Parts: sequence; structure tokens; C-alpha cells
Amino acid sequence: MNDPRRPDKKSRFKPPTSGAPSEDSTSDYMNILGMIFSMCGLMMKIKWCAWVAIYCSMIGFANSRAADDAKQTLSSFMLSISAVVMCYLQNPQPMTIPFLSST
Amino acid sequence: MMRKSLFISLLIVSLLLCFPSARSNRAPVDAGDNEFAEFEEFEDDKAASAENTVADEIEEQPHPSSKSAGLDDNEDEASVETEEADEFEHFTDEEEFEGFDQDRVKAKEPVDLKITNVPRHLYTSYESYFFEIITLLGISVYVLNYFFGKHKNSQLATAWWNCHKELLEANFSLVGDDGQGKEINEGILMKEAEHVYSLWCSGRRCCEGMLVQLKFIKRQDIINSIIRLSKPMNDQIVYTVQMEDMDKFVFAVAQKKTGITLARDMNDLAQYCQFKKVDKYAIPSQFSLLSEFEESTAAMLDSKVCSILNKNPQLVEYIHISDQYVGSRVVEQDKSAQPDAPTTVQKVLIICFNASERGRTTKQDMEKMIQCTNLVFHLMERVRHFTLSREAKEKATENRRKIDEALQKTLHQQRQEAAQQRREDKRREEKDKLMTIDDPDRARKLEDKERRRELKRKQPKMKQMKIKAL
Repeated sequence: MNDPRRPDKKSRFKPPTSGAPSEDSTSDYMNILGMIFSMCGLMMKIKWCAWVAIYCSMIGFANSRAADDAKQTLSSFMLSISAVVMCYLQNPQPMTIPFLSST
Repeated sequence: MMRKSLFISLLIVSLLLCFPSARSNRAPVDAGDNEFAEFEEFEDDKAASAENTVADEIEEQPHPSSKSAGLDDNEDEASVETEEADEFEHFTDEEEFEGFDQDRVKAKEPVDLKITNVPRHLYTSYESYFFEIITLLGISVYVLNYFFGKHKNSQLATAWWNCHKELLEANFSLVGDDGQGKEINEGILMKEAEHVYSLWCSGRRCCEGMLVQLKFIKRQDIINSIIRLSKPMNDQIVYTVQMEDMDKFVFAVAQKKTGITLARDMNDLAQYCQFKKVDKYAIPSQFSLLSEFEESTAAMLDSKVCSILNKNPQLVEYIHISDQYVGSRVVEQDKSAQPDAPTTVQKVLIICFNASERGRTTKQDMEKMIQCTNLVFHLMERVRHFTLSREAKEKATENRRKIDEALQKTLHQQRQEAAQQRREDKRREEKDKLMTIDDPDRARKLEDKERRRELKRKQPKMKQMKIKAL
């Protein structure tokens, strides 16, 4: 009598629509930022940009959701790693940070 | 005379003494041990020939007295080449060499060493890669923190699930469906992100289903941990119940800051509710109240709810009950781009609890959340069985009708604007087409056609009656 369960009223879980914007878009911002820094590191051969791109990719990955496209996160990661590798292949000298380097 | 003979004898003795020692220095060296043996033999021959010339010069002097003056010369000539002889001395002979700069040979100025500063980027030692090492250390720290944070959140979620499984299975016939696959799955705690876990329950009276979301803080992201030092966050558990049937009212009680955010962001709260004073009700002053009707407020804030709010004011973040729930205004603005898209109105009961203060959640805190789940079931029953008075019902109906009319008007206006825009675009296209036509006759014909169409559109619409001639 006091059993609140109703087996005939079962309904399945409906995931939220993919078009709806998620509450947290940190992952998207970090992926885009990572790609921008990777391109700066590759094109302009700025080493610190390439390292920052790796950090952005990692933060984007940590904040990503299961529903997000893993390919985008992975491509951002690979791009940042390739930026670092290319920078050091072309110029193996240590990195200099502009506002910290001594004259 | 005696003196001169003595001198000559001394000279001969010194020569005899020096000759064996010089010869011992230039003793034949075993060629096997010394690579330069052949050059040393050459030097031996040279030295021997020099001594012979000196000895011959001495023998050529028969009378020492007559040659006293020349004896000094002989002394000079007979002086033995010592090891300290200047190697460049033969260059000073002006008959042999001309223009030799003596100063160059004898210059022994003190050397002033200057050590130039080599820029850091030209170093090649490990110490020069200082920034790279720091960066790699940062990456390793981030990765370590990711795994620890992920593990901690997973442990908390599992602890919550283990504590609540029995209670949920006693209240719902379906617990833990993920919506995947054809067959109904049970007992699945869905992982939406490393810090968000969801559970779907259905098959109960009063509701169509309940979604429980465990929204933990982002322990896996060290940047978020640093931000939390200045802006404290809590682990939250949100119960969203889709009500089967409820009366027409909108109500919310929340922490003050959250109340302001909800009033701004939630469409139904902004349209139907006003802020009410909390003095009349037995709840702490740190809460704010948004309500459409007083009787619904009094019904929802019963003794059980008030006791929980008073006992632990930090436990409840907000309670939101609405029959006109459409979501936040941000989502609505996105949908306004498509004015014809239908807006889904839901009847919901949403309660958000804080699992702990300042994110210091333990497994024991998850056990304490059972009282929160019981509160949800209590409110579910209360909302289902609450009915408004006749006047309140009429007022609620009137409010909803007005809001709906305003919405329809806005939609109609948007549709009109869209149609006007389409007409303008079409007219612009036709004008562009006219400009591109080369044939002037054809262009004139099209212009006339357009002018007639404009005139016809501008004319007032009148009924035309035909009168038959008698």
C-alpha cells in the first residue's frame, strides 16, 4: 500500500539535445586557444607559445565532457606537441622568454 | 805570461768538462722509444761541428801574448751554447738578415685576459635549459593532480551511490538507466565528465522521473583549484524531478546570492515571481524568497522543510518549484533565432544541496545526504497533493494567459520582421537582375511590370461592383 513504486510508469532516460549549449565551455575555449598558440609556435617559431599550447590542450582535456568530440581534443593535443617538436628541431637552443631574458 | 797560460789551461779544462756532459745529453737514444731520435742525431752532429770549430780556433792561436786582444774574441766565439741561448739570436746577425724587429722577440708584456660574456642562449649545458625543465615539471605536476583529482571524485560518487542505492530502489522501479541501447539498463551511474555524474530514476507515483546530478568541484584541474582559493566552491547534488501533475504556481527559496542569479536567469521566476520577505516564515535570514502566491509559499515551507533549513542553513542551496519551467534565459535567447521552434514547458521540482563547505567533502558527508534525498521525496508528495484556492487558481490562469499573449505577440512580430526582410531581399535581387540585363527593351518591359505591381500593392483594397447597363 505504501509502496510508491509504479512499474508501469517507467520511462527511459533522454539525454539532453546535442544542440543545447553546455553550462561550461572552458573546454572549447581552451581547445581554440591551444590551436592559436600552436600556430604561433609553428609559424613564428616561438617556443614558449608551443609550450603554452600544450598547457591549453591539457586544461581543455581535463575540463572536457564525455559528450564532447574527442577528436577535437586529440587534434589540439597533437598539434601542440608537433609545434614543440618542430620548434626544437629547427633551433635546439634553450627557450628565451622575452620579458624574463637578461640582456 | 804565466797568467795567460793559466787562463788557456783553465779554458781547455772547462771545455773538456762540458764536452762529456753535452755528449751524455746527446747520447744515442733507442730509436724504438723516441720518435724524434733521428732529429736528435742531426742536432748532435750540428753541436759537434760547432765545438770542433771552436777547438780549431783555439789551436790556431800559437802565442797567447800576441793574441790577448783576440782572446776576448775567442772567449766570445768559444762560449758554449747553453740551453738558455736565445733561439732567435741568429736572426740578429745583420749581415745575414735585414729588418728583423728585435722588439717583437723581446716583448714580454703582461697579458690582460678579458673573459667575454657569452649569451645564455649559446650555452649547451643542461643548466641552460632551465625554462624547459620548469615547464616539464609543471606538466608532470598537472598530470599527477589530474589523476588524483579524478580518483577522489570517483570515490565520492561511488560512496554516494553505495549509500543511496537501497533508498532509491525502494522508491523507484527503475534506477540507473543510461538511455543507451534497446533494452533498459539498470544500476548505471553515468559519468558525464570527470566532475559530473548523473543517475536517472523513474517508475514512481507523483513523478515521471528524477535526474540526480552529482556536480563535484573540478579537482582534476589544478587551475580550477587555484581559482578556488579566491572563490570557494562546493560539491553540489542537484535533484531534478519531472512532476506528473501539479497545481499552477511558481516558487523558489535560495541562498541570497543564488536567489539573485536565479531571478535574473530563470524565465519563469522572472515573469511570475517577486521577492518576498522571509520574516513571516521560520527560515534563516540568509535565504531569499521568490513566490507567486502566499499560500503556495506557506504550503511549501512546512515544519519539516523549515527545520532542515534552520538546522543546517548551508545544506540547501536552492529549492525551485514551477509549472512553467523552460530553462535559463541564455538558452531562450539562442532559441529566439528560430522563432517557430516550440518552447518546452515543464513541471519541475529542483533542489540543490551542498555536500560540504568549501569543497572539503568526505565519504561520511555522502552518508549524511540521505536526509536530503528523503526531503526530496517529502516535497514531491507535498507538491503533488497541494491545491490552490479558487481565487489563486483564477489569478494563476490569468497570469499565464497574459504571459502567453505577450509571447505570441513577440513571436508574431518576429515572424513579420522575418517576412519583411525576405521581401526586401527579393526586391533587391530583382533590381540587380534589371541592372545586369543588356537589352534596353526587355529592361523597360520589366520596369513597367514592376511599376504596375507597386501601384497595385499601394492601392487600397476595395470591392469592385459591376453594374449592368440597362
